[in-house]
Order: sequence, then C-alpha cells, then structure tokens
Amino acid sequence: MTDNQTNPESFKWVGKRVKRIDGPEKVTGELKYMTDYHFDNMVWGKVLQSEYPHAKINHIDTEEAKKLPGVICVLTHKDIPGFNGFGIVVPDQPVLCSKVVRCTGDAVALVAAETLEIAEQALSLIKVDYEPLEVVADAELAMTPSAPRLHPDGNIHSQVIIKNGDTEKAFQEADIIVENTFYSPRQMHAFIETEGGWGVMDEEGFITIRCPGQYAYRDRMQIARSLAYNPERIRVISSPIGGAFGGKDEITVQIYLALLAMHTNGRPVKIHYSREESVIAGIKRHPFKVQMKTAAKSDGTLLANEVRAVGDTGAYASLGGAVIALAIEHSCGPYKIPNVDLEGFCVYTNNGIAGAFRGFGVNQVCMGIETHMDMIAEKLGVDPIELRKKNVYHQGEVSSVGHVVKSSVGTFKTLETAENCDLWRNREKYKTEVSEPWKKRGVSLATSFHGIGMGIGLPDYGAASIELLQDGKFLVGVGCEEIGGGNSTVYAQVAAEILNCDISNIHVVQGDTSRTLDGGTVTASRSTYTGGRAVATAAPNMVKLLTQTAAEMLNLPASKVTINTNYISAEGKKLTYQSIYQYLFDNRKTTRVEGHFYLPKEKEGIEGSGGAPHHLYGYLTHVVMVEVDTLTGETDVLRVVSIPDAGKVMNPQGLEGQTEGGAVMGIGYTLFEDILIEDGYHKTRNFTDYIIPTIRETPLIETFPVEEAEATGPFGAKGIGEVVMIPIIAAIMSAIHDATGARIYHLPATPERVFNALKSLKNKKTQSAR
Amino acid sequence: MLVSEIDMITPSSLSECLAFLAQTNKKHKLLAGGTDATVRMKEGNWRPEVWVNIKNLKELRYIEEKEGCIHIGPLTTHTDIVRSPLLQKKADVLVEASREVGATQMQNMGTIGGNIGTASPAGDTIPALYVLGAILEISSLDTKRLVPIEQFFTGPGRTVLRVNEMITNILIQPQVPNEIGIFQKLGPRKAQSISIVNVAISLRMIEGRHCQGGKIAFGAVGPTIIRAKKCESLLSQGPLTEDLIQNIAKIAWKEVMPITDVRATATYRRDMASALLERGLYRLIRRWENR
Ligand SMILES: Cc1cc2nc3c(=O)[nH]c(=O)nc-3n(C[C@H](O)[C@H](O)[C@H](O)COP(=O)(O)OP(=O)(O)OC[C@H]3O[C@@H](n4cnc5c(N)ncnc54)[C@H](O)[C@@H]3O)c2cc1C
Repeated sequence: MTDNQTNPESFKWVGKRVKRIDGPEKVTGELKYMTDYHFDNMVWGKVLQSEYPHAKINHIDTEEAKKLPGVICVLTHKDIPGFNGFGIVVPDQPVLCSKVVRCTGDAVALVAAETLEIAEQALSLIKVDYEPLEVVADAELAMTPSAPRLHPDGNIHSQVIIKNGDTEKAFQEADIIVENTFYSPRQMHAFIETEGGWGVMDEEGFITIRCPGQYAYRDRMQIARSLAYNPERIRVISSPIGGAFGGKDEITVQIYLALLAMHTNGRPVKIHYSREESVIAGIKRHPFKVQMKTAAKSDGTLLANEVRAVGDTGAYASLGGAVIALAIEHSCGPYKIPNVDLEGFCVYTNNGIAGAFRGFGVNQVCMGIETHMDMIAEKLGVDPIELRKKNVYHQGEVSSVGHVVKSSVGTFKTLETAENCDLWRNREKYKTEVSEPWKKRGVSLATSFHGIGMGIGLPDYGAASIELLQDGKFLVGVGCEEIGGGNSTVYAQVAAEILNCDISNIHVVQGDTSRTLDGGTVTASRSTYTGGRAVATAAPNMVKLLTQTAAEMLNLPASKVTINTNYISAEGKKLTYQSIYQYLFDNRKTTRVEGHFYLPKEKEGIEGSGGAPHHLYGYLTHVVMVEVDTLTGETDVLRVVSIPDAGKVMNPQGLEGQTEGGAVMGIGYTLFEDILIEDGYHKTRNFTDYIIPTIRETPLIETFPVEEAEATGPFGAKGIGEVVMIPIIAAIMSAIHDATGARIYHLPATPERVFNALKSLKNKKTQSAR
Repeated sequence: MLVSEIDMITPSSLSECLAFLAQTNKKHKLLAGGTDATVRMKEGNWRPEVWVNIKNLKELRYIEEKEGCIHIGPLTTHTDIVRSPLLQKKADVLVEASREVGATQMQNMGTIGGNIGTASPAGDTIPALYVLGAILEISSLDTKRLVPIEQFFTGPGRTVLRVNEMITNILIQPQVPNEIGIFQKLGPRKAQSISIVNVAISLRMIEGRHCQGGKIAFGAVGPTIIRAKKCESLLSQGPLTEDLIQNIAKIAWKEVMPITDVRATATYRRDMASALLERGLYRLIRRWENR
C-alpha cells in the first residue's frame, strides 16, 4: 500500500463526491447499450419457448419453419455440437430441450430470419409433439414422495443444516417464544434492458458475443462447453448493462447467440427478448416459506432460533443451492444466539426458474428474524433498539452460526445512529401528523447484514490491469462489469488517487475477455471491494513502471523521481506521460501492469452449511415511517433512513445511489412485486400487472453511513450492493404493525392483504368484546 | 394478420374520414392516441386490415361551452382536460379522472374518445362522464345520433357503435353552482395503474351538509360502469354527517357485481366500493366546507 492509502486527509478522489464517469452519456441517452445496436447485414434470432410447464417431447418437426421464405436456420438440440446444458453450479438446464420440458421458460428451438416478424412466424410453424406431464406447482409438495421427480436425484436439489448448542433445552428454559411462518414473493429483477445481445462468427471461425452479463469469463466457458469450442476462439463482451441485479449472472441468451452465429454465414445475429419472453424465461428471486421459532429470556437475551426454510428454485438449479445456503447463514440476523437449529431446502418445481438476485436469500429470512425481534421487544416491553443492541455480535465475538467474526462489524454503531436520527427521536410526533382520520402512521426499524464475496469452497480473487496510453492517459481494465451500480467510477477514483492524476485521465474498460483479466463476478456485493482492491494492487506497479522509466530516461536514480499531479519530475526536470509512453514504445517495453490478489477467506467452514461462514459482511439498519389507509389497506412509505456500514465510503454519491435504489427495490418487494404462477403458467406477464414503485412511491430517503473501516479492503472499503434493500422489508412490515396493530406474514403486503389483516383484527376484537 | 401487413390511412378531414368509413370493406379500426391500440396490436388482439389514423383531425379536438352545454371533442387529450379552466370550473370530476389516467405520457397521448372507445370497465373517465350525464354524438357519413353514455356500452370492450360510425362529440351538462364532484381511484399503486375499483361522485349541495341529490358511478366492479342508485337515493336523507356517509357507503357493496382476477378478488373489490365511496364523500364534504 502506498502512502496515500493510509492518510485519508490527503485524499483527492477517494471518499469524495465524484460524479459518475459514465453518468453524462447514460442520462442523456447517448450511450448505446448492446441491444440498441443494429447492423445492415444483421439477422434476427428468436427462441421457441415451451408450451407446457412439464411435458415429454415426442417429436420436433422443423420442416415447415425451414421452408418459410426469409428463414436462415432453425436449430434444435441436434444442432448442439457440445454439451447440451448450462448452469453455474450444476449444468442441469438444457440449452435446447430434447426429451422433456420442465418449465415454460425452457427453450426448444432457435430460429434466425431476415426480420423479427419472419422469425416469429417461423416459431409458430415449428411443430412440437408434447405429452403433458403432471405439474409440480408447490415446493412443499415437491418434497413429498408422491410428487413426480423432475430430476434424476429427486426434487430436493440441496439441503443445508447448521446446528449449535441445544435448542430443545433452550426452548424449555425460555421465558418467551415466538413462532411464525413467513411467505415471500417471486420478485423479478425488472431491469430496463431485457435479456439480449449479438453473436457473430468471422471467416476464421472466431466468435464474438456481445451480451450483457455478470461474469464474461464464466459465460465464455459455458458457451465453449456447449459449442465444444476452444474458449480462446470466443470473445465475450458483457458490459455495459441496462441493469442486472443478479438476473444476468447465469447464462441468458449467450449460448443461443453463439449457436445461431455458427449458421448465419458470418452475419451478426441479434436476440432481444420482449418483456413477455423475459418474464417467462428470466430467472427470479426464490419464493420462500420460512418457519421460524425464536426464544428469549425475560431480560431480552436471545436463547435459541429454529428455522426451516424452503426455497422454490423452479425447474433448474442455477445458483439456488447457494441462495439457500446464504439464507441459512443469515437466518439468525447479526446476533449471537447460542442455540440454533437451522435447515434449508432448495427444491425443484415447474415454476419458471429462480436464481441470483440482490440479497441472495437473505431478504426472505431477514423478514422472519427481524419480525421476531420486534415481537419479543413488544412482549417484553423493551425498546426494539435496546433489544437488538443487547444481542448483536461485535468484532471478535461468536456469531449465531458459531464462528468468530474477525472482520469489521458496524451493527451496534448503525443502531446508535438510528436511535439518534430525527425520524426515530421524534417518531411519536410524526405519527400524529396524519392527514385524514382513517390514516394511521407507524415508525419502525430493522437491521441486517450480508456476506461479501464467495463463501468457503469457491475460489475468490480479483485482478486489474492498467495501461499507459499514447496520449498519456491510463486505461484501467477490470473484469467486473458496470451493471449500473457505479463501480467504474470507484475504479477510476482508486486509480486517480494512487497515480496522482486527474480522474479525467483515467479510462475504464470492463467486462471484455479480450481486454480485461478474469477477476470474478459482479455479484455478492464484491465488486467495489474486489475490483477496487485489484486496481489498488495494480496501481503501485504502474507507479513503479513510471518512476523507473523516468529514472532511466533522465539517467537518475529512481529515488529522485517524484510523481506530481499529472506529470513526473526529478531534479527540476519535467516529464510528461506522453513522453514516457513514447520512450517505452520506442524501446519495445511494456506499457501495461497487472494486479492480482486473493480474497481473504475463513479457514474453517461450517459442516453442512454449503459455504458458511463468510469472512466479510456489510451491515445496515433501516428506519421507516409508513402511513396506512385503513379504508383501503394501501400502504405509503413516507420516510426512510438508511444507515449502512460500508467500511470506508469510496464515493458518498455512489453510496446514496445504492441506498436509494435499494430502498425503492425493498419497498417494491414488500408492497407490490410478485410474479404469480399458477400450475406452472405465468399469470403475471408484463409490467401491466408486475407493479414496481414509481417516483410517486419513492419517499424521502436519508443516508447516514457509519464507517467501520475494513483493514483488508481498498482504503478500508467493504461492499454494500445488496444489504441496502434488505432490512427495509422487515422495517416496513413492522411499521404497518406499529400503525395498525395488524401483522403481515405474506408478502407483498398488497392493499388487499393489509385490508384483510385489518379486517380479521377487527373481527377478533369484536369477538373478544362479546 | 402480421403487423407489417396492416395498412394505415390518415384522413385530413372529418368528412374524408367518414367517407372512408362509409365506403371501405376492409376490416378497420380508428387510431387516436394509440395508447390502447398499440398495446393491443402488440399482444395480437387488435389487428385490423387498416388503421384509420385520426390523431391529426384538429377539428375533433376542442372544449367549449355552447347553449348551456359543454362540448368536448373526442380527440381532446387527458392533458387538455386537466388544463382546461372551463372543465376545472364546471366539470371538476372529469378533470380529476383524467388526472388519474396512467401518468404524464399517457395523458399527453391518450384521448377521451379513445378511453370511451376502448370501453374498458376500468376506464377512468367513464364514471365521471356518467355522473355528468354525458351524451355522445355518433356520426356516420350521412347520419348523426345522440346516445346517452349509459346506453353506449353493451359489455366489456363492446359498444353500440356500428362499423361506419365514430364518436364526434361528447356533450356534458356543466355543473351548476353548488354542484361538486370527486373521482376516487384505487389501483395497485399511485400512478400508471389499472383501477381495481374507481368511483365518480357528483353532489348538488344546498346548505351546510345538506344535499339535494347526486350521482354515483362505479368502475371495475361490473361488466360496464355501474350507477349506485340505492346509495344516490340516500344522499338527500339528511345532512351528510360522518355517520350517514358510512351508512351510505356500506350499501355500495350491494350495488356492485365484481369478479376475481389477478389484480384483486371479488370480495375485496366489493369492500373497496364501500371504502372509496366513504373516502370520496368524506373528502368532498370537507372540500365543500372549506370552499
Ligand atoms: C401505460 C398505460 C397506462 C394507462 N393507464 C390508464 C389509466 O390509468 N386509466 C385509463 O382509463 N386508461 C389507461 N390507459 C389506457 C389508455 O391510455 C386510455 O384508455 C386512453 O384514453 C386511450 O386513448 P387513445 O387516444 O390512446 O386511444 P386509442 O388507443 O387510439 O384507441 C382506443 C380505442 O378507441 C377507439 N376510438 C378512438 N377514438 C375514437 C372515436 N373518436 N370514435 C370511436 N372510437 C374511437 C379506437 O378505435 C380504439 O378501439 C393506459 C394505457 C397505458 C399504455
């Protein structure tokens, strides 16, 4: 680490409100996303989706479709040169189904044609002879022996268990026990840019795929496996992206594009899903059923937690196993509960496909444990913040899953900040300020955490390159894509800080197997931490290259050379970066440096946990105020206070982008969003009925970061991309209760659900009054 | 029918348009703002042989008061309605309804004629037109007939319009002094949403909370808009105290016949008919008292 990295006072870029380097072209619409491109000689690709959620395929007849004028090719499973499957962990999803379809998102055939319309028509001419099979529509039923088996090993894709202490004894000794079942929705990522992209094969057989993704190198491996093709002969460009949120972590259309590109005589082929296709084929957040039983002593000390979580992963695994594992790891909140019995199942059904999504299973369990914290506080008559403060683990203490937490822990500080924020301190006053007599307000809070990086068992590393360009500027290359979160700006800030130059001298390239090194995914709240640290590892190498070259050029010892803002000097002589470039170029020396590192890992895993514990966690507390219209059940979130522990904040503006976007996404999850599937068929087909918050549902959101610097992070940073949407879910649920006395256990808390909860509360009251 | 096979003609005057409608034997459909039409075309539901694009018929875009009647051209956009001082003064309930259609973009493009033409039971301006006693002028090349809005719809998406006819004028009774109206909508969110239930209310007030009578029309709770005549008959039974308001509102669920769909169950819709009426009457009385 250089000097700059240890003395925050002298920072010019890090920790400052730096405007997004990709901002102007995005807000003006000037930036072309990959799916915006058109080429003169292009052709259109289309995917035939399955007609049934579960059926045997007897025969596929493509003759009529092939005969349609304007059709270039029609492909089925027979045209796959390599392995007919994909999936990040277990490749159990066919690229093109051959014998059986397991959800309506399954692909059966591909078409390339001169126009989109001809391609659509061709799809309708493909005759697939299906034999419908019994549909597995419910995860609990899927686990029973009588359910049809969707995969050779049965319907339970994975099971994770964490056990500590003696829960049975603890429940006997407890003064208070709360027990409930929670249901969570099938949230859709709802990115603006639906899945799509380009494929093209040149005369030499080199394939280029331009398709938004979250890990170009892994996408390339999955493509290569299906094509039986040398991955070095494939280039994947995966950035920029019109939103992903985990929904483009898995393969989307890359393999389809590559297959089609092999049959279009060198013409570029484009696939761009309609919203309806995206709703059906795209992965979703796992709906969970969470049964939870929590025990405490009368002084508020948590004694035990028992959890049984069942996640519906739909037809294929994707990252389902990891999602359930992360859920279980986080199911006790950031608390130290000595006795736990936690069990999670990832289960196959015919309900679409579920996989990675911001929060990665933690959202679904946070609503359980945090609701229980409030119920315990209420029953004991203690302040909900005090109860939490009493039970949180601190750095160096043992968490509920039983490991010593060695990295920084900010929960306590976030709770203290919550306690002192205006909304919490003056909540009783705010609650009285309702506009109409039937409206009721509530203020509540919740806290949560989220692991950063991959758990145990998955290699996790970062890499970055920095190249000196002819014009004296620097090109920073990081594998992690810019999915909209603003990591490109962080990378530029880190580079500018260490290279001591203006940020306009830094260009950033991301997500391109030909131009960036493999540095892992842009997921798991890891890209600021990992990519930032990779740049911080590469930059001193560039400083060294510049210094040594300058010394060589000036014939002075390197110790005499200083790097000033935007130029180099030694003993009164100045050198521009252009001249250094020229010197290196003329002498055929490299102008490029790299930086590599491993992410810190826990040494000992927890057996049966599927990857716990993580070494690093980000923490966050949300305080919210809601207003419930008791006549209709409508809930309005009026104010949100977001208190993240992100470690060192690299860019306050970027952090606010995340806390605000995360809060709104959390509001959507809690109040509006759900993809309804009945008997395997989607009832929600597009944005007509998939309700996401608009600006009118967006409240005032304040952000008060507490900075618990993480020693291993770049400049002390951690990650925050996911936890920003998590505790708000439980906080809103709790605030509805604070306002009305009614509790919601089934999300989203639509007006109808809230109204019904109010109605049954009223009925209960009148009954007990009789 | 493929989208690329559909023709479009753009008549330059109303008479040219009516002449086309009279002579064509092609399957055709009018295209005004296109905010319903394009969505349904995309979904494969509306695929005529020819679109008759009337968006440029300026002569059908007007709001004026003539001989004790307000005339609204069918091509008047929701934004036009929201911004009209005349309608703000004499048809407040319609202004409120138009303000609830989608959001800005839809209000700029969408027309009142199109809202009526789609004949959705959830169409937001229609209940307002019911309580304002709207009469539609329907023209073909050589006929003109006046149809009260309550007789216009025959079912969801269905109207009495014949293939060669179109709406050419919407006539409403201007509100008299002491006549006040309100539009209430419940959707799954505040903007850009299809009504789960909506209601338009228009009251003729006398003094204090005394009301001479009024009209109440519900949307999205039946095959067409439904007038709540039982509730209406109670409006003049005494001062509209909170008690009476609640009692009138409770009756509303008996007057509606909703169905269950992805957006809401029938039971909830019924309950919401009462809730919106209560909320609407309460707000209206408050406004009246604070005028
Ligand atoms: C995102 C979105 C949100 C929306 N939100 C709402 C909402 O909140 N509330 C609501 O009520 N609607 C809503 N709509 C529907 C739509 O915007 C309205 O119904 C609008 O008023 C339709 O007007 P238009 O001019 O666009 O109609 P068009 O789509 O052009 O036409 C609609 C129908 O009316 C017929 N038509 C048009 N003019 C005439 C005429 N003069 N004579 C006879 N028939 C005619 C057409 O032939 C067609 O059948 C929404 C639509 C979208 C896409």
